[in-house]
Amino acid sequence: MNTTMSGPPTIEVRGLRKVFRQATSGQQVVAIDRLDLTIQPKEVIAIVGQTGCGKSTFFDMMIGLEPPTEGYIHIGDKSPYADFDFFRGKMATVFQQDRLLPWRSALDNARLPLELMGRPEEEQRERALTWLNKLGLTNFVNAYPHELSGGMRQRVAIARAFAVQPEILLADEAFGHLDEVTAAELRDTFLKLARESGATAVLITHQLEEAIAVGDRIAVFGKSAKLLADIHVAKWAESEYGTLREAIQTTLQTQSPDPRLARN
Amino acid sequence: MSQEYRESVPVLSFPRQTFVSLLVFAIAWEALSYLAPSLGIPPFAIPSWVRIAKSIANITPIDVVVTLARVIGALIVSFVLGLALAMAMYRSDAMDKYVYPMVRILMAVPVVSWILFAVLWFPGVEFRIGFVLVVVCGPVFLVDTLDAMRNVPRELRSMMRSFRPTTLQFFLKLMLPAIVPTIFTSWKVNISLAIRVVTIAELVGAVTGIGHQLSVAQELFSVSDVFAWTIVLVALLFMLEALVARIEHRLLRWRT
Repeated sequence: MNTTMSGPPTIEVRGLRKVFRQATSGQQVVAIDRLDLTIQPKEVIAIVGQTGCGKSTFFDMMIGLEPPTEGYIHIGDKSPYADFDFFRGKMATVFQQDRLLPWRSALDNARLPLELMGRPEEEQRERALTWLNKLGLTNFVNAYPHELSGGMRQRVAIARAFAVQPEILLADEAFGHLDEVTAAELRDTFLKLARESGATAVLITHQLEEAIAVGDRIAVFGKSAKLLADIHVAKWAESEYGTLREAIQTTLQTQSPDPRLARN
Repeated sequence: MSQEYRESVPVLSFPRQTFVSLLVFAIAWEALSYLAPSLGIPPFAIPSWVRIAKSIANITPIDVVVTLARVIGALIVSFVLGLALAMAMYRSDAMDKYVYPMVRILMAVPVVSWILFAVLWFPGVEFRIGFVLVVVCGPVFLVDTLDAMRNVPRELRSMMRSFRPTTLQFFLKLMLPAIVPTIFTSWKVNISLAIRVVTIAELVGAVTGIGHQLSVAQELFSVSDVFAWTIVLVALLFMLEALVARIEHRLLRWRT
Protein backbone atom coordinates (compact mmCIF):
# COMPACT_ATOMS: atom_id res chain seq x y z
CA MET A 1 0.00 0.00 0.00
CA ASN A 2 1.35 3.43 -0.89
CA THR A 3 2.13 5.71 1.99
CA THR A 4 2.51 8.84 -0.08
CA MET A 5 0.45 10.50 -2.75
CA SER A 6 2.21 12.14 -5.69
CA GLY A 7 -0.08 15.06 -6.47
CA PRO A 8 -3.78 15.20 -5.80
CA PRO A 9 -5.49 11.86 -6.33
CA THR A 10 -8.83 11.06 -7.93
CA ILE A 11 -11.72 10.94 -5.50
CA GLU A 12 -14.17 8.14 -6.22
CA VAL A 13 -17.50 7.83 -4.52
CA ARG A 14 -19.38 4.61 -5.29
CA GLY A 15 -22.73 3.45 -3.97
CA LEU A 16 -22.30 5.67 -0.91
CA ARG A 17 -25.07 5.28 1.62
CA LYS A 18 -25.40 6.78 5.07
CA VAL A 19 -28.23 5.90 7.40
CA PHE A 20 -28.67 7.51 10.81
CA ARG A 21 -30.92 6.43 13.61
CA GLN A 22 -32.68 9.40 15.19
CA ALA A 23 -31.88 9.61 18.88
CA THR A 24 -35.37 10.72 19.91
CA SER A 25 -37.72 8.65 17.71
CA GLY A 26 -35.37 5.78 16.87
CA GLN A 27 -36.43 6.13 13.23
CA GLN A 28 -33.90 5.56 10.46
CA VAL A 29 -33.01 8.54 8.30
CA VAL A 30 -31.30 8.01 4.96
CA ALA A 31 -28.95 10.98 4.69
CA ILE A 32 -27.15 9.72 1.58
CA ASP A 33 -28.66 7.16 -0.75
CA ARG A 34 -26.30 5.40 -3.16
CA LEU A 35 -24.25 8.32 -4.40
CA ASP A 36 -21.80 7.89 -7.28
CA LEU A 37 -19.41 10.72 -8.02
CA THR A 38 -15.89 11.04 -9.42
CA ILE A 39 -13.76 14.10 -8.73
CA GLN A 40 -10.70 14.52 -10.89
CA PRO A 41 -7.33 15.69 -9.55
CA LYS A 42 -6.99 19.49 -9.25
CA GLU A 43 -10.66 19.92 -10.03
CA VAL A 44 -12.69 22.52 -8.15
CA ILE A 45 -16.14 21.08 -7.62
CA ALA A 46 -19.05 22.85 -5.99
CA ILE A 47 -21.77 20.79 -4.40
CA VAL A 48 -25.11 22.53 -4.16
CA GLY A 49 -28.32 21.40 -2.58
CA GLN A 50 -31.08 22.50 -0.27
CA THR A 51 -30.74 22.47 3.49
CA GLY A 52 -30.93 18.92 4.87
CA CYS A 53 -30.11 17.23 1.56
CA GLY A 54 -27.08 15.43 2.97
CA LYS A 55 -24.33 17.85 1.87
CA SER A 56 -22.84 18.24 5.32
CA THR A 57 -23.01 14.49 5.99
CA PHE A 58 -21.14 13.97 2.72
CA PHE A 59 -18.62 16.58 3.88
CA ASP A 60 -18.09 14.79 7.21
CA MET A 61 -17.64 11.51 5.34
CA MET A 62 -15.13 13.11 2.97
CA ILE A 63 -13.13 14.29 5.99
CA GLY A 64 -13.37 10.80 7.45
CA LEU A 65 -15.37 11.72 10.53
CA GLU A 66 -18.28 9.41 9.63
CA PRO A 67 -18.13 5.87 8.26
CA PRO A 68 -20.27 4.90 5.28
CA THR A 69 -23.20 2.58 5.98
CA GLU A 70 -22.66 1.10 2.52
CA GLY A 71 -20.43 1.89 -0.47
CA TYR A 72 -17.21 3.84 -0.24
CA ILE A 73 -15.26 7.02 -0.73
CA HIS A 74 -11.78 6.36 -2.07
CA ILE A 75 -9.19 9.09 -2.32
CA GLY A 76 -6.51 7.46 -4.41
CA ASP A 77 -6.71 3.95 -3.05
CA LYS A 78 -7.40 5.00 0.54
CA SER A 79 -10.52 5.52 2.56
CA PRO A 80 -10.60 8.78 4.54
CA TYR A 81 -12.38 6.93 7.35
CA ALA A 82 -10.57 3.58 7.45
CA ASP A 83 -7.17 5.11 6.66
CA PHE A 84 -7.84 8.19 8.81
CA ASP A 85 -4.26 8.91 9.86
CA PHE A 86 -2.91 8.51 6.33
CA PHE A 87 -4.54 11.82 5.39
CA ARG A 88 -2.83 13.86 8.12
CA GLY A 89 -1.32 16.80 6.28
CA LYS A 90 -2.89 15.82 2.97
CA MET A 91 -6.37 17.14 3.56
CA ALA A 92 -7.51 20.46 5.02
CA THR A 93 -10.90 21.91 5.76
CA VAL A 94 -12.56 25.30 5.98
CA PHE A 95 -15.83 25.23 7.86
CA GLN A 96 -18.96 27.35 7.83
CA GLN A 97 -17.87 29.21 10.94
CA ASP A 98 -14.18 29.98 11.36
CA ARG A 99 -13.84 27.51 14.26
CA LEU A 100 -10.72 29.22 15.56
CA LEU A 101 -9.51 28.33 19.03
CA PRO A 102 -10.28 31.46 21.09
CA TRP A 103 -7.23 31.07 23.34
CA ARG A 104 -4.81 31.09 20.41
CA SER A 105 -3.61 34.10 18.42
CA ALA A 106 -4.15 34.24 14.66
CA LEU A 107 -0.62 32.93 14.14
CA ASP A 108 -1.06 30.09 16.62
CA ASN A 109 -4.38 29.14 15.05
CA ALA A 110 -2.87 29.13 11.56
CA ARG A 111 -0.03 26.87 12.62
CA LEU A 112 -2.19 24.46 14.62
CA PRO A 113 -2.33 21.71 11.94
CA LEU A 114 1.44 21.98 11.46
CA GLU A 115 1.89 21.46 15.19
CA LEU A 116 -0.27 18.36 14.96
CA MET A 117 1.86 17.14 12.05
CA GLY A 118 4.95 17.53 14.24
CA ARG A 119 6.65 20.07 11.96
CA PRO A 120 9.63 21.97 13.43
CA GLU A 121 8.67 25.16 15.31
CA GLU A 122 10.46 27.41 12.82
CA GLU A 123 8.70 25.84 9.84
CA GLN A 124 5.33 26.13 11.58
CA ARG A 125 5.87 29.84 12.14
CA GLU A 126 7.21 30.50 8.68
CA ARG A 127 4.45 28.69 6.82
CA ALA A 128 1.67 30.14 8.95
CA LEU A 129 3.09 33.66 8.56
CA THR A 130 3.39 33.23 4.79
CA TRP A 131 -0.28 32.34 4.46
CA LEU A 132 -1.45 34.99 6.91
CA ASN A 133 0.50 37.54 4.87
CA LYS A 134 -1.03 36.25 1.63
CA LEU A 135 -4.44 36.69 3.16
CA GLY A 136 -3.72 40.26 4.22
CA LEU A 137 -3.36 39.66 7.94
CA THR A 138 0.24 40.82 8.35
CA ASN A 139 -0.69 43.30 11.05
CA PHE A 140 -2.95 40.94 12.95
CA VAL A 141 -0.85 37.84 13.49
CA ASN A 142 -0.80 38.32 17.26
CA ALA A 143 -4.48 39.22 17.57
CA TYR A 144 -6.88 36.85 19.29
CA PRO A 145 -10.01 35.75 17.38
CA HIS A 146 -12.32 38.02 19.40
CA GLU A 147 -10.24 40.99 18.31
CA LEU A 148 -10.84 40.24 14.62
CA SER A 149 -13.85 40.80 12.36
CA GLY A 150 -15.80 37.84 10.95
CA GLY A 151 -14.07 38.18 7.58
CA MET A 152 -10.64 38.34 9.19
CA ARG A 153 -11.36 35.28 11.30
CA GLN A 154 -12.40 33.37 8.20
CA ARG A 155 -9.15 34.48 6.55
CA VAL A 156 -7.24 32.96 9.47
CA ALA A 157 -9.25 29.75 8.99
CA ILE A 158 -8.31 29.73 5.30
CA ALA A 159 -4.66 30.38 6.17
CA ARG A 160 -4.84 27.46 8.62
CA ALA A 161 -6.10 25.19 5.82
CA PHE A 162 -3.57 26.33 3.20
CA ALA A 163 -0.64 26.21 5.65
CA VAL A 164 -0.98 22.43 5.55
CA GLN A 165 -0.26 22.56 1.79
CA PRO A 166 -3.01 20.00 1.32
CA GLU A 167 -3.71 17.91 -1.74
CA ILE A 168 -7.40 18.05 -0.99
CA LEU A 169 -9.22 21.14 0.22
CA LEU A 170 -12.71 20.84 1.61
CA ALA A 171 -14.91 23.84 2.35
CA ASP A 172 -18.39 23.66 3.87
CA GLU A 173 -20.42 26.86 3.39
CA ALA A 174 -17.17 28.65 4.10
CA PHE A 175 -18.38 32.11 3.07
CA GLY A 176 -22.11 31.76 3.69
CA HIS A 177 -22.18 33.64 7.00
CA LEU A 178 -20.27 36.68 5.74
CA ASP A 179 -21.70 39.80 4.16
CA GLU A 180 -21.92 39.73 0.37
CA VAL A 181 -18.90 41.93 -0.38
CA THR A 182 -16.60 40.15 2.08
CA ALA A 183 -17.85 36.75 0.94
CA ALA A 184 -17.19 37.55 -2.75
CA GLU A 185 -13.75 38.93 -1.99
CA LEU A 186 -12.80 35.98 0.17
CA ARG A 187 -14.22 33.46 -2.30
CA ASP A 188 -12.04 34.96 -5.08
CA THR A 189 -8.97 34.83 -2.85
CA PHE A 190 -9.75 31.26 -1.85
CA LEU A 191 -10.22 30.19 -5.46
CA LYS A 192 -7.01 31.90 -6.59
CA LEU A 193 -5.00 30.28 -3.81
CA ALA A 194 -6.62 26.89 -4.41
CA ARG A 195 -5.72 27.05 -8.12
CA GLU A 196 -2.16 28.15 -7.31
CA SER A 197 -1.72 25.35 -4.81
CA GLY A 198 -2.90 22.74 -7.32
CA ALA A 199 -5.13 21.07 -4.76
CA THR A 200 -8.39 19.33 -5.52
CA ALA A 201 -11.10 21.46 -3.95
CA VAL A 202 -14.58 20.42 -2.89
CA LEU A 203 -16.84 23.29 -1.89
CA ILE A 204 -20.21 22.75 -0.36
CA THR A 205 -22.62 25.62 -0.72
CA HIS A 206 -26.28 26.46 -0.99
CA GLN A 207 -25.58 29.65 -2.94
CA LEU A 208 -25.88 29.09 -6.66
CA GLU A 209 -23.93 32.24 -7.62
CA GLU A 210 -21.07 31.00 -5.48
CA ALA A 211 -21.18 27.54 -7.05
CA ILE A 212 -21.16 28.97 -10.58
CA ALA A 213 -18.40 31.47 -9.76
CA VAL A 214 -16.12 28.90 -8.15
CA GLY A 215 -16.69 25.47 -9.60
CA ASP A 216 -15.20 23.75 -12.63
CA ARG A 217 -18.09 21.43 -12.00
CA ILE A 218 -21.28 21.69 -10.04
CA ALA A 219 -22.87 18.61 -8.50
CA VAL A 220 -26.51 19.26 -7.72
CA PHE A 221 -27.73 17.16 -4.79
CA GLY A 222 -31.39 16.34 -4.33
CA LYS A 223 -32.91 14.74 -1.24
CA SER A 224 -30.67 12.08 0.37
CA ALA A 225 -27.78 13.43 -1.74
CA LYS A 226 -29.26 12.05 -4.95
CA LEU A 227 -27.12 13.39 -7.78
CA LEU A 228 -29.64 15.35 -9.84
CA ALA A 229 -27.14 17.00 -12.19
CA ASP A 230 -23.40 17.03 -12.82
CA ILE A 231 -22.63 20.29 -14.59
CA HIS A 232 -19.37 21.20 -16.35
CA VAL A 233 -19.38 24.96 -16.02
CA ALA A 234 -16.90 25.37 -18.89
CA LYS A 235 -19.64 24.25 -21.28
CA TRP A 236 -21.60 27.36 -20.41
CA ALA A 237 -20.68 30.82 -21.66
CA GLU A 238 -20.52 33.51 -19.01
CA SER A 239 -23.50 35.19 -20.69
CA GLU A 240 -25.52 32.02 -20.00
CA TYR A 241 -24.87 31.95 -16.26
CA GLY A 242 -28.33 33.41 -15.62
CA THR A 243 -29.95 30.50 -17.48
CA LEU A 244 -27.69 28.05 -15.71
CA ARG A 245 -28.70 29.49 -12.37
CA GLU A 246 -32.40 29.22 -13.24
CA ALA A 247 -31.98 25.66 -14.47
CA ILE A 248 -30.25 24.60 -11.24
CA GLN A 249 -32.93 26.34 -9.21
CA THR A 250 -35.69 24.52 -11.11
CA THR A 251 -33.83 21.24 -10.65
CA LEU A 252 -33.67 21.80 -6.90
CA GLN A 253 -37.33 22.82 -6.70
CA THR A 254 -38.67 19.93 -8.77
CA GLN A 255 -36.06 17.40 -7.59
CA SER A 256 -35.57 16.30 -11.20
CA PRO A 257 -33.01 17.54 -13.74
CA ASP A 258 -34.06 20.57 -15.75
CA PRO A 259 -33.90 19.74 -19.52
CA ARG A 260 -31.73 22.86 -20.06
CA LEU A 261 -28.93 21.08 -18.22
CA ALA A 262 -28.91 18.33 -20.85
CA ARG A 263 -25.83 19.74 -22.60
CA ASN A 264 -23.72 18.08 -19.86
CA MET B 1 5.28 41.29 32.49
CA SER B 2 4.09 44.64 31.19
CA GLN B 3 3.16 47.57 33.41
CA GLU B 4 -0.42 47.52 32.05
CA TYR B 5 -0.73 43.84 32.92
CA ARG B 6 0.61 44.32 36.46
CA GLU B 7 -1.89 47.07 37.04
CA SER B 8 -4.83 45.03 35.86
CA VAL B 9 -4.08 41.94 37.96
CA PRO B 10 -6.88 41.49 40.49
CA VAL B 11 -5.63 41.52 44.07
CA LEU B 12 -7.63 41.46 47.29
CA SER B 13 -9.80 44.47 46.63
CA PHE B 14 -10.75 46.55 49.62
CA PRO B 15 -13.30 49.13 48.51
CA ARG B 16 -14.49 51.89 50.81
CA GLN B 17 -17.88 50.22 51.40
CA THR B 18 -16.17 47.04 52.67
CA PHE B 19 -13.96 49.08 54.97
CA VAL B 20 -16.96 51.00 56.34
CA SER B 21 -19.02 47.85 57.00
CA LEU B 22 -16.05 46.18 58.74
CA LEU B 23 -15.47 49.29 60.82
CA VAL B 24 -19.13 49.44 61.86
CA PHE B 25 -18.99 45.76 62.83
CA ALA B 26 -15.79 46.28 64.84
CA ILE B 27 -17.26 49.26 66.72
CA ALA B 28 -20.50 47.40 67.42
CA TRP B 29 -18.53 44.39 68.67
CA GLU B 30 -16.38 46.54 70.94
CA ALA B 31 -19.46 48.29 72.31
CA LEU B 32 -21.15 44.96 72.92
CA SER B 33 -18.00 43.66 74.62
CA TYR B 34 -18.02 46.75 76.91
CA LEU B 35 -21.72 46.40 77.69
CA ALA B 36 -21.74 42.60 78.03
CA PRO B 37 -21.42 42.41 81.86
CA SER B 38 -24.28 44.90 82.36
CA LEU B 39 -26.42 42.86 79.94
CA GLY B 40 -25.79 39.69 81.89
CA ILE B 41 -23.55 38.19 79.24
CA PRO B 42 -20.33 36.56 80.58
CA PRO B 43 -17.31 38.77 79.66
CA PHE B 44 -15.44 35.86 78.00
CA ALA B 45 -18.30 35.40 75.46
CA ILE B 46 -17.66 38.73 73.71
CA PRO B 47 -13.95 39.54 74.10
CA SER B 48 -12.68 43.01 73.35
CA TRP B 49 -10.48 43.68 70.32
CA VAL B 50 -7.51 43.98 72.63
CA ARG B 51 -8.08 40.39 73.83
CA ILE B 52 -8.56 39.21 70.27
CA ALA B 53 -5.39 41.03 69.18
CA LYS B 54 -3.48 39.27 71.98
CA SER B 55 -4.85 35.92 70.76
CA ILE B 56 -3.82 36.76 67.19
CA ALA B 57 -0.34 37.59 68.45
CA ASN B 58 -0.20 34.14 70.02
CA ILE B 59 -1.12 32.33 66.80
CA THR B 60 1.36 29.55 66.20
CA PRO B 61 2.56 29.72 62.60
CA ILE B 62 3.31 25.99 62.48
CA ASP B 63 -0.41 25.18 62.83
CA VAL B 64 -1.23 27.56 59.98
CA VAL B 65 1.47 25.99 57.81
CA VAL B 66 0.30 22.45 58.63
CA THR B 67 -3.34 23.23 57.75
CA LEU B 68 -2.27 25.04 54.58
CA ALA B 69 -0.08 22.10 53.54
CA ARG B 70 -2.94 19.66 54.16
CA VAL B 71 -5.33 21.77 52.09
CA ILE B 72 -2.96 22.33 49.18
CA GLY B 73 -1.71 18.73 49.15
CA ALA B 74 -5.22 17.30 49.21
CA LEU B 75 -6.44 19.73 46.56
CA ILE B 76 -3.60 18.77 44.23
CA VAL B 77 -4.29 15.04 44.72
CA SER B 78 -8.05 15.62 44.28
CA PHE B 79 -7.48 17.63 41.12
CA VAL B 80 -5.14 15.08 39.53
CA LEU B 81 -7.48 12.18 40.37
CA GLY B 82 -10.58 14.12 39.30
CA LEU B 83 -9.04 15.20 36.02
CA ALA B 84 -7.67 11.72 35.20
CA LEU B 85 -10.99 10.05 35.96
CA ALA B 86 -12.94 12.71 34.05
CA MET B 87 -10.72 12.13 30.99
CA ALA B 88 -11.23 8.37 31.24
CA MET B 89 -15.00 8.81 31.61
CA TYR B 90 -15.08 11.21 28.67
CA ARG B 91 -13.29 8.64 26.54
CA SER B 92 -15.29 5.61 27.66
CA ASP B 93 -19.09 5.56 27.72
CA ALA B 94 -19.09 2.33 29.71
CA MET B 95 -16.83 3.81 32.37
CA ASP B 96 -18.98 6.92 32.51
CA LYS B 97 -22.15 4.88 33.00
CA TYR B 98 -20.65 2.80 35.81
CA VAL B 99 -18.65 5.46 37.63
CA TYR B 100 -20.91 8.53 37.41
CA PRO B 101 -23.69 7.19 39.70
CA MET B 102 -21.06 6.31 42.31
CA VAL B 103 -19.62 9.80 42.11
CA ARG B 104 -23.06 11.32 42.64
CA ILE B 105 -23.54 9.09 45.69
CA LEU B 106 -20.14 10.14 47.08
CA MET B 107 -21.14 13.77 46.69
CA ALA B 108 -24.35 13.20 48.64
CA VAL B 109 -22.58 11.73 51.69
CA PRO B 110 -22.27 14.30 54.52
CA VAL B 111 -18.77 15.40 55.50
CA VAL B 112 -19.36 14.23 59.07
CA SER B 113 -20.01 10.68 57.82
CA TRP B 114 -16.73 10.72 55.93
CA ILE B 115 -14.91 11.89 59.05
CA LEU B 116 -16.45 9.09 61.11
CA PHE B 117 -15.61 6.53 58.40
CA ALA B 118 -12.04 7.84 58.29
CA VAL B 119 -11.67 7.58 62.07
CA LEU B 120 -13.03 4.02 62.06
CA TRP B 121 -11.08 2.84 59.00
CA PHE B 122 -7.66 4.48 59.22
CA PRO B 123 -5.24 4.67 62.16
CA GLY B 124 -3.04 7.48 60.77
CA VAL B 125 -4.26 11.03 61.44
CA GLU B 126 -2.72 12.54 58.31
CA PHE B 127 -4.23 9.84 56.12
CA ARG B 128 -7.63 10.39 57.73
CA ILE B 129 -7.57 14.12 57.01
CA GLY B 130 -6.23 13.58 53.49
CA PHE B 131 -8.87 10.94 52.80
CA VAL B 132 -11.73 13.17 53.94
CA LEU B 133 -10.48 16.12 51.88
CA VAL B 134 -9.91 14.06 48.73
CA VAL B 135 -13.21 12.22 48.96
CA VAL B 136 -15.05 15.54 49.35
CA CYS B 137 -13.12 17.68 46.84
CA GLY B 138 -12.21 15.02 44.24
CA PRO B 139 -15.77 14.45 42.99
CA VAL B 140 -16.31 18.21 42.60
CA PHE B 141 -13.24 18.45 40.37
CA LEU B 142 -14.36 15.35 38.47
CA VAL B 143 -17.92 16.49 37.80
CA ASP B 144 -16.91 20.05 36.88
CA THR B 145 -14.15 18.84 34.53
CA LEU B 146 -16.35 16.22 32.89
CA ASP B 147 -19.16 18.73 32.33
CA ALA B 148 -16.69 21.20 30.85
CA MET B 149 -15.29 18.54 28.49
CA ARG B 150 -18.79 17.65 27.33
CA ASN B 151 -19.51 21.32 26.74
CA VAL B 152 -16.56 21.85 24.40
CA PRO B 153 -18.39 22.87 21.20
CA ARG B 154 -18.92 20.05 18.73
CA GLU B 155 -17.72 22.41 15.98
CA LEU B 156 -14.32 22.81 17.61
CA ARG B 157 -14.03 19.07 18.20
CA SER B 158 -14.78 18.22 14.56
CA MET B 159 -12.42 20.97 13.36
CA MET B 160 -9.67 19.51 15.50
CA ARG B 161 -10.40 15.95 14.41
CA SER B 162 -10.36 17.01 10.75
CA PHE B 163 -6.65 17.73 11.18
CA ARG B 164 -6.17 14.22 12.53
CA PRO B 165 -4.51 14.73 15.91
CA THR B 166 -3.36 11.88 18.13
CA THR B 167 -5.49 11.25 21.23
CA LEU B 168 -2.89 13.03 23.36
CA GLN B 169 -2.75 16.02 21.00
CA PHE B 170 -6.54 16.21 21.01
CA PHE B 171 -6.54 16.54 24.79
CA LEU B 172 -3.53 18.81 25.08
CA LYS B 173 -4.36 21.19 22.23
CA LEU B 174 -8.14 21.32 22.51
CA MET B 175 -9.79 19.80 25.55
CA LEU B 176 -7.38 21.00 28.22
CA PRO B 177 -7.21 24.65 27.14
CA ALA B 178 -10.97 24.65 26.56
CA ILE B 179 -11.71 23.53 30.12
CA VAL B 180 -9.18 25.79 31.87
CA PRO B 181 -11.79 28.45 32.79
CA THR B 182 -13.96 25.78 34.43
CA ILE B 183 -10.93 24.30 36.21
CA PHE B 184 -10.25 27.68 37.82
CA THR B 185 -13.87 28.03 38.93
CA SER B 186 -13.67 24.53 40.36
CA TRP B 187 -10.46 25.39 42.24
CA LYS B 188 -12.11 28.45 43.79
CA VAL B 189 -15.11 26.40 44.93
CA ASN B 190 -12.88 23.63 46.26
CA ILE B 191 -10.52 25.96 48.15
CA SER B 192 -13.46 27.29 50.11
CA LEU B 193 -14.80 23.76 50.62
CA ALA B 194 -11.40 22.36 51.66
CA ILE B 195 -10.75 25.14 54.21
CA ARG B 196 -14.07 24.35 55.89
CA VAL B 197 -13.67 20.58 55.70
CA VAL B 198 -10.07 20.50 56.92
CA THR B 199 -11.06 22.41 60.04
CA ILE B 200 -13.72 19.84 60.90
CA ALA B 201 -11.40 16.94 60.04
CA GLU B 202 -8.65 18.39 62.26
CA LEU B 203 -11.07 18.61 65.16
CA VAL B 204 -11.06 14.82 65.29
CA GLY B 205 -7.80 13.34 66.39
CA ALA B 206 -5.33 15.84 64.95
CA VAL B 207 -2.69 17.27 67.27
CA THR B 208 -1.66 20.05 64.93
CA GLY B 209 -3.45 22.45 62.62
CA ILE B 210 -6.01 25.19 62.94
CA GLY B 211 -8.86 22.74 63.58
CA HIS B 212 -6.96 21.29 66.52
CA GLN B 213 -6.26 24.79 67.89
CA LEU B 214 -9.96 25.63 67.59
CA SER B 215 -10.72 22.50 69.58
CA VAL B 216 -8.24 23.56 72.28
CA ALA B 217 -9.75 27.06 72.35
CA GLN B 218 -13.18 25.55 72.84
CA GLU B 219 -11.93 23.41 75.74
CA LEU B 220 -10.47 26.56 77.36
CA PHE B 221 -13.67 28.57 76.75
CA SER B 222 -11.48 31.11 74.93
CA VAL B 223 -13.76 32.95 72.49
CA SER B 224 -10.91 35.33 71.67
CA ASP B 225 -8.76 32.39 70.52
CA VAL B 226 -11.64 30.99 68.44
CA PHE B 227 -12.09 34.43 66.93
CA ALA B 228 -8.36 34.75 66.20
CA TRP B 229 -8.10 31.34 64.52
CA THR B 230 -11.26 32.03 62.54
CA ILE B 231 -9.77 35.27 61.27
CA VAL B 232 -6.69 33.31 60.22
CA LEU B 233 -8.86 30.80 58.34
CA VAL B 234 -10.77 33.51 56.52
CA ALA B 235 -7.51 35.29 55.66
CA LEU B 236 -6.06 32.00 54.39
CA LEU B 237 -9.10 31.45 52.19
CA PHE B 238 -8.89 34.95 50.71
CA MET B 239 -5.16 34.59 50.10
CA LEU B 240 -5.56 31.27 48.29
CA GLU B 241 -8.45 32.66 46.24
CA ALA B 242 -6.39 35.71 45.33
CA LEU B 243 -3.52 33.45 44.28
CA VAL B 244 -5.82 31.39 42.04
CA ALA B 245 -7.37 34.57 40.62
CA ARG B 246 -3.89 35.85 39.79
CA ILE B 247 -2.91 32.64 37.98
CA GLU B 248 -6.30 32.61 36.24
CA HIS B 249 -5.87 36.17 35.06
CA ARG B 250 -2.43 35.36 33.72
CA LEU B 251 -3.45 32.18 31.92
CA LEU B 252 -6.72 33.53 30.56
CA ARG B 253 -5.35 36.81 29.27
CA TRP B 254 -6.87 35.97 25.88
CA ARG B 255 -10.33 36.63 27.31
CA THR B 256 -9.65 40.27 28.24
